[in-house]
Amino acid sequence: MQRLLAFIEHNFHFILFVILQIICGFLIFGLNPYQQAVFSHSAASVTARSNQLSSDLTSYMDLKEQNILLQSQVREQFKNAPNTSFRFLRDTIDVKDSSRRPLFEAIPAQVIYNTTYKANNIFVINKGTDVGIRKNMGVVSSEGVAGIVLRSNANYSVAMSLLNTDMKIIPNINDQEFFTELVWDNTNPNTMKIMSINKLEKVKVGDLVYTGRSSLLFPPGIPIGTIAKLETKPNSQYFDTYITTATQFRKLTYVYVILNNDESLITPLMPDAE
Amino acid sequence: MLSRVLYYILIFALQVLLFNHLDLSAFLVPQVFIILLITLPLQTKKIYQVLIAFGLGILADFFVSTPGIHTSACLSLVMMRMAILNTQDLKEEIANKLSYTARNVGVLPFSYTVLILVFFYHLYVFWIGSIGAINMYNLLVTTFISSVFSLTVIAIFQFLSLSHSRE
Repeated sequence: MQRLLAFIEHNFHFILFVILQIICGFLIFGLNPYQQAVFSHSAASVTARSNQLSSDLTSYMDLKEQNILLQSQVREQFKNAPNTSFRFLRDTIDVKDSSRRPLFEAIPAQVIYNTTYKANNIFVINKGTDVGIRKNMGVVSSEGVAGIVLRSNANYSVAMSLLNTDMKIIPNINDQEFFTELVWDNTNPNTMKIMSINKLEKVKVGDLVYTGRSSLLFPPGIPIGTIAKLETKPNSQYFDTYITTATQFRKLTYVYVILNNDESLITPLMPDAE
Repeated sequence: MLSRVLYYILIFALQVLLFNHLDLSAFLVPQVFIILLITLPLQTKKIYQVLIAFGLGILADFFVSTPGIHTSACLSLVMMRMAILNTQDLKEEIANKLSYTARNVGVLPFSYTVLILVFFYHLYVFWIGSIGAINMYNLLVTTFISSVFSLTVIAIFQFLSLSHSRE
């Protein structure tokens, strides 16, 4: 600090010189008509370029805010006009809700921790019980199913990723539910497997796999993935079906936690609840 | 002290009343008043030199309606003067609180300094004045003619000063 002060003291005349030269610059280009015109002309082109540069830069820097804004817009859209919302949420409005409110709502959140290299992968989101997130809520990305909430505190929640050997989800292909389980076999972070689809079923490579109506966690019609390979086992009546997940788990950043508004009303009616 | 103030006023008055209105040629715009900065007392603190240059430049601009141009040139001149004087051995003159004149520091080092500073000042002022439409030929000819004229006037002043001291 002393050295800095000594440096400033020693060079104060130079600092003063620079300051006064700046003032001169303002005087020259502000009060001399000819220089002012030249300056304005030059400044206009420099300003245009710097504005462009600034715009490019700030639009990039602003992406995070834009994402958050988009999330809230999607949430509102999902809440108020599910018909025009995401394609995979379209079925939501088919629910004949007497109060004419959507059965499902989406709570936007950001992934702050995510694994894809373990056998039982999880991800952590930056929203918790303060915004109504609880255990056993579905989590989707803008591409498709991402996981299920395992536990929450006030501000954070941990979700079981689809890439988790404990995750089991009922697939729906060509509007038909297959009561076999879609599982992750811990091989590839973009590939899941459906065990035992009967060879008589009309499924083919490229078919989309969606969530069905057998779960209260996800609205029906949310993409899970696309059939990538149908493997025939010799002497077997079944296919081993490989699915490429819709969600890119390695790039998972923004998600929506699915809130079922009537879960507390529906669950007690279920046979299991008795 | 009084004689120095009168000397300052005389030189500046000559600049404002005479040299600014010569009208002999479009290429002749001598800036003789800069001798006041060049001959500043050697013991003057650098910060005061900068402030004096600023004040004198503002005054010069005021009389020719060129806000900032002479001020900027005076500031640059005084900084360049500091750099040149650093290369000269002036410890004795500084200790005796002498001004930087031919009589005090010798004709040769003084001429060397004045030559550089006068050319620099004229080039700077005419360059800033014609910014945006610089005609190199006009710029250099004006700088050369005006500098030679200013140097002649400064030489006359210094010669008179030397003669006066010998008497």
